[in-house]
Amino acid sequence: MAAEAIVAENLTKRYGDFTAVDGISFKVKKGEIYALLGPNGAGKTTTVRMLTTLTSITSGDAWVNGYSVREERLMVKKSIGLVPDVSNLYDELTVEENLRFTAKLYGAPMERVGELIKEFNLPAKRKFGKLSSGFKRRTTITAALVHEPDVLFMDEPTSNLDIRSAKAVRALVRALNLKGMTVFITTHNMIDAELLPQRIAIIERGRIVAEGKRGELKRLVGKGVIVRFSVEPLSSTLLKALEGYSPTFDEGRISVVVDDADDFLEFLFELRKELGFRITYLSTELPSIEDVFMEFTEEKPCPCGGCPL
Amino acid sequence: MKVLTIAAKELREYVLKPGSISWGVVFPLVFTLAFAVRFGDIDHLAPGLLSISILFGTSSFVSSSIIFERRLRTFERLLVAPVTYLEIAAAKILVGTLFGLFVGITSMLVLRLFMAYPIWNWGLLILFMLLSGLTFSALSLYVSLIPQNPINAMTWLNLIRLPMIFTSGAIVSLLLFPRWFLVIGLLTPMTYSVEGLRFSMLEYYDVVNPAYSALVMVILTMAFLHLAIRSIKSLY
Repeated sequence: MAAEAIVAENLTKRYGDFTAVDGISFKVKKGEIYALLGPNGAGKTTTVRMLTTLTSITSGDAWVNGYSVREERLMVKKSIGLVPDVSNLYDELTVEENLRFTAKLYGAPMERVGELIKEFNLPAKRKFGKLSSGFKRRTTITAALVHEPDVLFMDEPTSNLDIRSAKAVRALVRALNLKGMTVFITTHNMIDAELLPQRIAIIERGRIVAEGKRGELKRLVGKGVIVRFSVEPLSSTLLKALEGYSPTFDEGRISVVVDDADDFLEFLFELRKELGFRITYLSTELPSIEDVFMEFTEEKPCPCGGCPL
Repeated sequence: MKVLTIAAKELREYVLKPGSISWGVVFPLVFTLAFAVRFGDIDHLAPGLLSISILFGTSSFVSSSIIFERRLRTFERLLVAPVTYLEIAAAKILVGTLFGLFVGITSMLVLRLFMAYPIWNWGLLILFMLLSGLTFSALSLYVSLIPQNPINAMTWLNLIRLPMIFTSGAIVSLLLFPRWFLVIGLLTPMTYSVEGLRFSMLEYYDVVNPAYSALVMVILTMAFLHLAIRSIKSLY
């Protein structure tokens, strides 16, 4: 278990008759960024809450840094940092006071507060309640780092942030990970899922329906490779030649989905020789994480038949 | 140590919240002043008014803190930190008691202006004020944690504390009611506060011996603390 930062075994949470998390199992390696990707209500936040001791486990167990979440709650708490989906520091305290309060709770040295304020360029004397949402997020993340946790849990790390702040948060997560920190994120944001994690688990209705590295998941979708290209001049002869590939057109670019990109490119270059057009743009890409997400979380009617889900 | 750290934070964060000020300071002081001005010689009402002041001071502060912390989810910061439920609950009770004592002392200063007799035993008075503060804080913590929606905490609290003014003998002595009403009086936590304060201020009590009052308040504090911890566990 030493190579893993987080191990979940048949983790289950029930609220009465409703099963929020249904026996999920996964392992997160030390020093990895692992994402739990899923639609709203899939069980992402409940999973994080169980792993961080905030919600009791109905059945199964989980280990964080080798400590059982059920049996060794205090040890788990000491070794983790949590950044919830809402920035939840104290409005009436300044940034520095908030960080000092956290440091005292965790028994971290006070010098660390000054270091972090400098490192993350935080407005130390401003009240938390007066900060912009970007700074609130950054301060909340900083508060989770005061005691230098081994594992950082981030629930929807870029939710409600503008593009620039979200980019800054992603850069911060990558920087922390480069220093060796294990980061567990939950998200339904495709940009986060595409850019941050080394491995992704897709959760749907409380169950993990797919897990793997981005490339592995994309291959699982089985859509083949998307080839996008632009040509000049675009002739009707070329379009007729492409008919068999069911091309789509978007902003002057032609897209086709093929099983083997090499075969198609060979065909395209032969056509170029024959018809004498110029290729002005060419790219090949695997399906996006969004494609993977849509494939595995396809909207299905709820089994109960009555709820709005 | 962590109890004091949390308590200091609570004071900074919630002392000026509208709920703490309006229900916790303004209401009991205006209530006390209204009675004092209306009746002039208020020696026999003073223990009840003091108890009401402590009750509203402690309960308003504690419920404000719970309402804000649950709504803004700052309560979860405490729960995810290496702090025990007991430390969290004890910190909230401690700060609620301090706030209640502050309101109680202010109320006492107002009352002294209108009282004819001196305080019989200051030491006992401080002891019973402290015990009242602890009991009411623990009670308020428990009650504030009952509703699923934290916004309803103050309403739940009013459902408990407003009838207690009547059933505790704070304003009208329990001796003036029919005998069966005494049972309700003895089931009211505030009765023991009023009786203890009455004895320490005026050297008499209506129905409950002061030693017994002190003991019941200690037991009630422990019981409400236990129930509050159970509520936190069931909520999270």
